[in-house]
Amino acid sequence: MARVTRRKFLRVSSAGALAAKSGGIAGILATGQAPAHAQTATVHWLKWVDFVPASDQLLKRDMVPEAEKALGIKINLETINANDLQPRITAAIQSGSGADLIMAFNNWPYLYADSIVEMTEQAESVSANEGGLYKYARSLCSDGTRFMSMPWAVIGGMIAYRKSWFDEIGVTTFPETWETYREVGKKLKAKGRPIGQTLGHTFGDAPGFTYPYLWSWGGKEVEADGKTVAINSKETLQSVKFMTAFWKEAHDEGGLAWDDTNNNRAFLSQTISATLNGASIYIESQRNPDKYVTEKGTQMKTDIQHAPLPKGPAGQFGFHLLQSHMLMKYSKNQEAAKKLVAWLQTTSNYEKWFLSQKGFATPCTANWEKHKLWDEDPVMAPYKVAARLGQAPGFAGPPNAKAAEAWTKYIITDMYAKAVQGMPAEEAVKWTEDELKKVYV
Amino acid sequence: MAVQAIETTFGEAPPPRRQRLLEDERWLAFMLLVPTMVLLGMFIAYPFARGILLSVTNSRVGVPGQFVGLANYYKIWNDTIFRTAVYNTFLYTAVTTVFKLGLGLWLAMLLNRDFRGKAFTRAFILLPFIIPTVLSTFAWKWMFDPTFSVLNWVLYHLGLITGRINWLGDPDLAMISIIVVNIWRGVPFFAISLLAGLQTISPELNEAAAIDGAKPWQRFWHVTWPLLLPVTMVVVLFSVIQTFADFQIVYVMTGGGPANATHLFATYAYQIGVGTGLLSEGAAISLAMFPILFLVVIIQLLYIRRVEVR
Amino acid sequence: MIEGARWRRWVFFYLPMAMFLVFLLFPFYWMIITSFRPDGELYRPWNSVNYNPFWTTRPTLEHVRYLFEETLFSQWLWNTTFIALVSTVISLVCGVFAGYALSRLSFPFAGSLGTGIFITYLVPQTLLFIPLAEIIRNYKLGDTPWSLILTYPTFLIPFCTWLMMGYFKAIPRELEECARIDGASRWKAMLYIIIPVAIPGILSAGIFAFTLSWNEFIYALVFLSSPEQKTVPVGVTSELIRGDVFFWGPLMAGALLGSVPVAIAYSFFVEHYVSGLTGSVKG
Repeated sequence: MARVTRRKFLRVSSAGALAAKSGGIAGILATGQAPAHAQTATVHWLKWVDFVPASDQLLKRDMVPEAEKALGIKINLETINANDLQPRITAAIQSGSGADLIMAFNNWPYLYADSIVEMTEQAESVSANEGGLYKYARSLCSDGTRFMSMPWAVIGGMIAYRKSWFDEIGVTTFPETWETYREVGKKLKAKGRPIGQTLGHTFGDAPGFTYPYLWSWGGKEVEADGKTVAINSKETLQSVKFMTAFWKEAHDEGGLAWDDTNNNRAFLSQTISATLNGASIYIESQRNPDKYVTEKGTQMKTDIQHAPLPKGPAGQFGFHLLQSHMLMKYSKNQEAAKKLVAWLQTTSNYEKWFLSQKGFATPCTANWEKHKLWDEDPVMAPYKVAARLGQAPGFAGPPNAKAAEAWTKYIITDMYAKAVQGMPAEEAVKWTEDELKKVYV
Repeated sequence: MAVQAIETTFGEAPPPRRQRLLEDERWLAFMLLVPTMVLLGMFIAYPFARGILLSVTNSRVGVPGQFVGLANYYKIWNDTIFRTAVYNTFLYTAVTTVFKLGLGLWLAMLLNRDFRGKAFTRAFILLPFIIPTVLSTFAWKWMFDPTFSVLNWVLYHLGLITGRINWLGDPDLAMISIIVVNIWRGVPFFAISLLAGLQTISPELNEAAAIDGAKPWQRFWHVTWPLLLPVTMVVVLFSVIQTFADFQIVYVMTGGGPANATHLFATYAYQIGVGTGLLSEGAAISLAMFPILFLVVIIQLLYIRRVEVR
Repeated sequence: MIEGARWRRWVFFYLPMAMFLVFLLFPFYWMIITSFRPDGELYRPWNSVNYNPFWTTRPTLEHVRYLFEETLFSQWLWNTTFIALVSTVISLVCGVFAGYALSRLSFPFAGSLGTGIFITYLVPQTLLFIPLAEIIRNYKLGDTPWSLILTYPTFLIPFCTWLMMGYFKAIPRELEECARIDGASRWKAMLYIIIPVAIPGILSAGIFAFTLSWNEFIYALVFLSSPEQKTVPVGVTSELIRGDVFFWGPLMAGALLGSVPVAIAYSFFVEHYVSGLTGSVKG
């Protein structure tokens, strides 16, 4: 395989050298470009490279060939680092060429709403077959009139914590409220085992914590009209003040610099006792059980538990990473791509992928809650309802492009980061209000 | 020596018409500039114009948008994060350039000597420049990591600190950290370019000055430095531009955090243009540095000319 | 060489040299250690008792094996070499010609043309890639090495041109005039007299151009899509950073194996810095 491509390479290169000499791109075009795959439609599917390597392998080795055979199309599956998806999407839309099917995170579909093909039919049919789409998935992928993308899965964010360390200070169930969590955290930090949480500029764990935290205190970015900025409230102020003290008393102060990967490493190296994360810490500890051991010499994987973020005065919330697939308007293979989406979302096919994820990804429809996978491993059980409890940024307004702007600018996260770094709470809230007003004009 | 060898071949062929054309300075210059013009014209002219046009519309990704005049520029002018980014970019560029030039020149002088393992050292000193920036920045990030920092380990064992230093978590230290990485990456380039410049200076000049009784420092200042100046100026010029538009290091190390303390022009433009899809505003942010850069470049170019005339 | 006492050599040469080497090569050493360190040793906080940052007692080739067997690393290495080489050659030819014309020939608008070439360098790549993607599509270059080979020169040529202008200007005019009196044409005088003298400049421009194309990231990310077409920086980051898990060992091994061969190749070139120059000036 490699040799064939290499030979092709050389052929192109020698032709190109000639063309370059005669100074024309036409020459290259004439010699180098063979019309590829003229007959069967090729669907170029671009997704992130999965936290769970086994799932990507399953897709590449089994499911893609299977789908190719079943649908009579060719599939070109490309996986890239999650951070690099956006430049690819932007360039593809602007130049009107690129992958046909692209994975989107959270409310990206709103950002690219003018460049996608409606998927309402497919989404509603999956919803009807599998017990209904969760409100969370619906709000992020549909603007109320049409589905801008096809919901794929939710990467749940839960607190991973060290059971034995919590036991040692006499805490046998995970704290239910922020107050008790703070008390517990204080004791843990006194033993050199703080809570780890990022407040840096990173797309997953930072907003995954700060948004639900804000909501649980009753704070919100905007009113339900999606225009009136409502952040400067006494609830928000209260949450900021609490956070400042909570941070000093219970958190690892290195967290201001963390990205999505740091807390995984800190947890696995036993410097923190709890952190908000996808299940990747647990999965990593299972993948290499002998590599990660506790101070007592036991395997780390037996000492990890998961719990949702605690409650605040206004309730309990979660903000998880929702993945969906956008079918691009410029695509010349829309029919084939739709067939592929339908095939992937067929329950029997989707189940194979779901099983390979081992609970890391929660499907977007209700019936999956009953799947036996959730009984296999009690540690993963809390993720079962991740998608049910999720709420989207932009609350109480819709999660539209404005909300996406506030989210990508890390405004809410920076409010807490600024306060934690010493800015008076009132000032931090005021700053946030000013920034949000510039977004929601 | 080389000249003599070639001389014999010169007289042979009678000059054809083509050659006579090449004798004309203007024609020759035109011919020599054609490849450059074609390539730049094909690949840069359009995106360049497109970028400027984008910045005066309200277009988003996938939405062409309408002409809005200078509204985007007005908007970013009132943007506090943008102002932070401006300040950071200037600080970052000024500090790193001074250090890169100073250290680079020093290193070039050292490398200009004859010592054992010369070729090897010269090449390996280039490694920071060769290792793909994305990957080397990850290595640095690991070295600055609050939990694992090897730098903290070293400082601790040297007895310089008692607790850990939160390298990337503190706004000032984060800025220092990215500055250090930029210097690390840039010094080899300065050193090797200046080394090449030093090599073009005939050793006889220095020897002559030494015979006249000039001290090493005087020889450097009156003989070496003036001759090195043209190359130095070009290298500084390019480094300034590159540093001004630097992206990778900040993007990987801090993402502009904590709380926007390390945002630069390029990272902020990227966050707005690509992250949020506000292409026009992103274009305005990255073009806002254009007049400033332009001014810097013109001043430096004029200076280069003046130096050369002298 | 440093004259005088032995201590002066130490203070003015060996000591600063050693400091430079430590500063410049330490992160590199860190990469080596990480590439050969078993994963189990990696996750140890800096203040733990058994933390041993500079050495590992159980080196492993596991990561290197992973890199070659589980990813297309060797293919990426080949792609990168090919792309960087061709775009360097293109940029050097353009840069040397343009630099010569702009610095040693007099013709109308020479000054503004020089500045014009320079200006193209001012547009930041982080945004330029978006309209550039349109061009790549129009020329149907997407997902071929040519999309990079032809776009890299756009940021390499300006530098090469200006650097060459600097070097050309430093060469005394008499050298060329002598050859012209002996009957050489302008073209030949440039080719056989001036260019050989400027070899160190060409080499350093070449090293610069090659290195920048070697580790360019954003264009390579956007213009290439097939895994077997990718370059080292893009391939390595897209295979070895999985969500919030870094595959540190293979990642660092990739950085290492992707740069040491280049450094070794350079060590042959930098030798020529000296001989190329001193020879022709004296001759």
